[in-house]
Amino acid sequence: MRYIFKFPDIGEGLEEGKIIEWYVKKGQSIESGDALVKMETDKVVTDIPSPKSGILAVLYGGVGDTVKVGSALVEIDIPGVEGEAAVAQAKDQPEAPSQETVDEKDFAGVVGTMEIAGDGAYLPSGDEGRPAKADAPKTRKALATPVARAMAKDYGIDINEVTGTGPAGRIMKKDIEGHSKGSASVNIHVPMPKASSAERTRIEPLTQIRKTIAKNMLRSKQSTAHMSIMDEVEVSALVEGRARLNEALAEKGIRLSYLPFIIKAITLALKDHPILNAELDMENERIIYKNYYNIGIAMDTPEGLVVPIIKDADTKSLIELADAIKDLMERSQERKLTLDDLRDGTFSITSYGSIGGYFGVPVIAYPQVAIFGIGRLTEKPIVKNHEIAIGQILPISMSVDHRIVDGAEVSRFLNQVLAYLKEPLLLLAYEGGTQ
Amino acid sequence: MIDQKTLNKYDPIKNKAYQLIDDEGKPLDKTWKPRLSNAEILQAYKDLLFERTADLMAVSYQRQGRMFTYPPNIGQEAIHIAAGIVTKEQDWLVPAFRELGAWLAKGVSLKELFLYFKGNEDGSRFEKANRMLPIAVPIASQFPHAVGLGYAINYNKEKDTAVFAYVGDGGTSEGDFHEALNFAAVWNAPVIFIIQNNQFAISVPLKMQTKSINLAIKGLAYNIPSLMVDGNDFFAMHEALSYAREQAVAGKGPFLIEAKTYRTGAHTTSDDPSKYRSKEEEEHWAQKDPLKRLKGYILHSKIDELKDEEELIKGFKKHIDSEFEAAENHPEYKVEDVFGYMYAELPDELKRQKNAYENYLRGVK
Repeated sequence: MRYIFKFPDIGEGLEEGKIIEWYVKKGQSIESGDALVKMETDKVVTDIPSPKSGILAVLYGGVGDTVKVGSALVEIDIPGVEGEAAVAQAKDQPEAPSQETVDEKDFAGVVGTMEIAGDGAYLPSGDEGRPAKADAPKTRKALATPVARAMAKDYGIDINEVTGTGPAGRIMKKDIEGHSKGSASVNIHVPMPKASSAERTRIEPLTQIRKTIAKNMLRSKQSTAHMSIMDEVEVSALVEGRARLNEALAEKGIRLSYLPFIIKAITLALKDHPILNAELDMENERIIYKNYYNIGIAMDTPEGLVVPIIKDADTKSLIELADAIKDLMERSQERKLTLDDLRDGTFSITSYGSIGGYFGVPVIAYPQVAIFGIGRLTEKPIVKNHEIAIGQILPISMSVDHRIVDGAEVSRFLNQVLAYLKEPLLLLAYEGGTQ
Repeated sequence: MIDQKTLNKYDPIKNKAYQLIDDEGKPLDKTWKPRLSNAEILQAYKDLLFERTADLMAVSYQRQGRMFTYPPNIGQEAIHIAAGIVTKEQDWLVPAFRELGAWLAKGVSLKELFLYFKGNEDGSRFEKANRMLPIAVPIASQFPHAVGLGYAINYNKEKDTAVFAYVGDGGTSEGDFHEALNFAAVWNAPVIFIIQNNQFAISVPLKMQTKSINLAIKGLAYNIPSLMVDGNDFFAMHEALSYAREQAVAGKGPFLIEAKTYRTGAHTTSDDPSKYRSKEEEEHWAQKDPLKRLKGYILHSKIDELKDEEELIKGFKKHIDSEFEAAENHPEYKVEDVFGYMYAELPDELKRQKNAYENYLRGVK
């Protein structure tokens, strides 16, 4: 009978090991307990002994190769168990190494968890005893730790769609990262609508990202006291200034949108109105003011809404802000955002107007306390010097958490932001100052 | 024989360890004669060899992926085997987690040990070990329990009974250690405190652990007779433990022994000591290996030629393998057992938890 010895988790939570030295050769006879190979892991460098006596049939990997916990290390032919006995024995065992094996068969203890790597790794010499892989159920419960599940959730990924490369198909951190990046090593399963025209309704399960969006939206609406304010600002100077700036920067291949100007205006104004860059900690009855400005930018992706952040936006130039936006846009489309891109925002901006819409009532990205919405820039008749003229009107909307942000304060904040947008040279006046 | 003069000579303040044989196993004092018979000494050697073999195999099982974790005993066996001889059936054994030989002497089976480190609670039953508490992984938490047992012995007027309580060097920095020592002294409890000073609290060396010149000295503050002993010297350990027990059962209260030793292995199988200690240090202590020294004594004093050692180890291995296989074939621990033994009737909150866990196992969200 052929026994497959899979590299065990010998260090309470290891993912892989590197082969330092093989002590044995193919075809060699070994006793259980004999050292097979020296492995280097995150925790220890150690010899791995054989759990069985027999003849070494296959050795996996050469010196320097990395072996994943749960993948085959050696195959051992155990004499004496052959034919029907082997088949019978194999039938008693779960299927040999396969990513469809989803039983969460690990031992939990106070210091970690361990995969039983050797368990169920019997194979008969022939194939009779093995269930065909095609029989494996299509829907399966992903094998993953709560940490991995939480991580997938943060990414907005349905963990059941991630292909695990850990022991018994366990989903590891990098599988989630890989999935989010959409790399070739993972399966991206986009549920396809399967409606026939005869059906009056179509049932489609929620994707993980949709579940996350739904949960976050509801939590924000249920946990905060939303209050909104709307206004218009005439931005001819900004339109003209931006056009001139882009002309000057054209030879460097740089083109600014309006968003960097708006971010700049907002971070400057936030410094004068810190309550809008704060968080309400009800549990401890206190307000947490943040002296950093991580601005979340709502982005539309094929999978749904994501709000990646520009870190320390207040320290960035207009050009750097434009670069940061471009980078986040590209990576959000390619699902390459990392967890770091998505957490610890302090204030958010949504520019729905780039698609359409004049005023909106944006939902706060809880636990932040304010969100700034930008509508569609529109040419409108305005009254200027007692005459009708054509103005460039930018409609804006803001939602705040009225529990800690008073109406007067948000109006003052808004006046300041709009003043900067009306006269963008003011951005220069305040840029870099400490007051 | 230890007497008051010995205790004065080895007063912890002098920072000198009590020792009877040298690194080669030769007696330091030519006139000294061991308390044990030659047959007993030979048996002790075999027990020590058995503990070491079982220990090495346990590490091997863990490396094969067949056991969750394991804290190796290698290098500290003289303490365990000596204590195993001195500890009587009616005595209490209050373990930490690195005293294999002492547990085996008390009646713990290897199957139970393996079950425990495979994560199966049935391994804590110790069916044949009379008066032994469960393995205590939290550091020094077992010391107050030991004093409570000692208090009970006095309260019940039990004769010829003592408590053997173990802790490591790291444990002496815990509050529980000091509270226990204080109460043991105040209550005159018959408790023998054994500090296995193996030089490391996981990776923290003793020097970073305490400013005390040694650990025995900590007993003096509580007015507990205390002795630092060469823990790799089987005879010194046997002598010190025998004396400590005699004192305890004679109503003289607690005794503290610092057994100075070296953890030759890793803290547990998840630890790699090469990252925090030198080869030179390991080689220095290898000279003091307890098995080597006891073997040296047996050969020098011509008790035995130890020619059948290989056969002996082969037999041990067969037995150890069969115990491990028995542990592997033991039924898995049941969910009901997790909830089953605390309350006659399960409170609502625990009912909810049990139900939630059963649903989880069934895949219901």
